[in-house]
Amino acid sequence: MSIAPSLIFFLQVWGGVGAGVALLFLAWGIDRIDEDARGAYVFRVLIIPGILLIWPLVLWRWWQLEAQSGRWLARYQPVRRAHGLAALAMSVAIALIVFFGLSARQDWPADIAPVRVETGS
Amino acid sequence: MSVKYIPVQWNPNKWYYDGIMLVGVAAFLWVFLYITPDALGHERPINPQIHNARAFGACAFTMLTVILCIGPLARLDHRFLPLLYNRRHFGVMTAFVAATHAGYILDWYFAFSSRSPVQGLLEANTSYGQIAGFPFEILGVFALICLTLLAATSHDFWLKFLTPPVWKRLHYLIYAAYAAVVGHVVLGILQDDRGIGVNLLFIGGAALVCVLHLAAWWQGRAEPMGIAATGWVQVAPVDAFREGFAKITKLPDGDRVAVFLHEGQLSAIANACAHQNGPLGEGKIVDCLVTCPWHGFQYDVRNGQSPAPFTEKVPTYLVKVEGGAVFVNPAANPPGTAVAPVPLEKGAT
Ligand code: FES
Repeated sequence: MSIAPSLIFFLQVWGGVGAGVALLFLAWGIDRIDEDARGAYVFRVLIIPGILLIWPLVLWRWWQLEAQSGRWLARYQPVRRAHGLAALAMSVAIALIVFFGLSARQDWPADIAPVRVETGS
Repeated sequence: MSVKYIPVQWNPNKWYYDGIMLVGVAAFLWVFLYITPDALGHERPINPQIHNARAFGACAFTMLTVILCIGPLARLDHRFLPLLYNRRHFGVMTAFVAATHAGYILDWYFAFSSRSPVQGLLEANTSYGQIAGFPFEILGVFALICLTLLAATSHDFWLKFLTPPVWKRLHYLIYAAYAAVVGHVVLGILQDDRGIGVNLLFIGGAALVCVLHLAAWWQGRAEPMGIAATGWVQVAPVDAFREGFAKITKLPDGDRVAVFLHEGQLSAIANACAHQNGPLGEGKIVDCLVTCPWHGFQYDVRNGQSPAPFTEKVPTYLVKVEGGAVFVNPAANPPGTAVAPVPLEKGAT
């Protein structure tokens, strides 16, 4: 059985929950946790797609800010090591993909003339 | 810098940047579609719909390649820093161009499917176990989802809300997306197309991105760490300081501190900008304010605060001069804490 319909259903549910979170967060939560958002409304429209996609992360940060439980210093610790690793992993992946991809190329049989397939034949 | 959020921040420089970018995209598509319609080296004739799809696909690939080259180029040579300035608009534009490519594909290959086009796309080929004939479309779908996610979380609100390190980690998806796009191209169009131009564009572009990233990583790897002496970390000898500029040092925990010399006095702040963790220590002080080289946020080096009405803050550090060298205390003060500047007496003990 194909998993495509279940996958599409899952994405629809994900987006649906995200819409609920977006409504709650943009109408109420955002003013509580970010002073720069107070009195600013138009930009909220641009925030909606992001909430639809990563609403669990939004809920986590919202909760963290409400509870004031995050470490303040964490904000100023850039992720340098991870950056090197990400760049390295990407380069290796690309090298492998290009190598195996190009090795799998097949030659088009040049001596076979195309045949028009008739309907019903 | 933000006081109250606005939908899109534009200023003359950004208009200029975006203008050049739009002209570039239009020129690319125009050349591809009208000047050299055979640029893709089509061995068999194709219809305009597919041609459009390929032009937008190639354009998105090229844009992504350029975007990914900007970061390491700016790290390798500071003259490329201005390109970094408005890279987010570039990224959002790329997501739109890639979505247009996907739209043409769905509208052509899956338009008359009895199922929804997306379902048709997911079910048309499921030979995931082989390289030749691999359903390369799924790699494109993955990359498009990543690009959409990055574009959708590109507003400054997200940076502040998620914090720059979390935001950056999320945006590392760009690397996965690029690898997927290369796979999408190599297992897709390049299986069939042997034209020099196309192969050079795709494989050459991918190689350039890899080489630049590896070079920047190699260069950054060798950065020296401050020498710890009695808990304080040595930054540099007093003679090494230049008025208006900073010396950056790495603390034992991996964080970086920028120690500035301003009007003969030393002040230390975190090297990571509150915006996107740009390197503040590479900025220059004008009127007590250091300007971040990435997007121009400003901070007073004596207290780590942005000038009113802005509200950004960075942590500060304690400094001392001893035995002809400058030291910082590795324990950061909470963001925005004022610290009295320390006079730099050359040769002080
Ligand atoms: S990182 Fe954007 S202004 Fe500093």
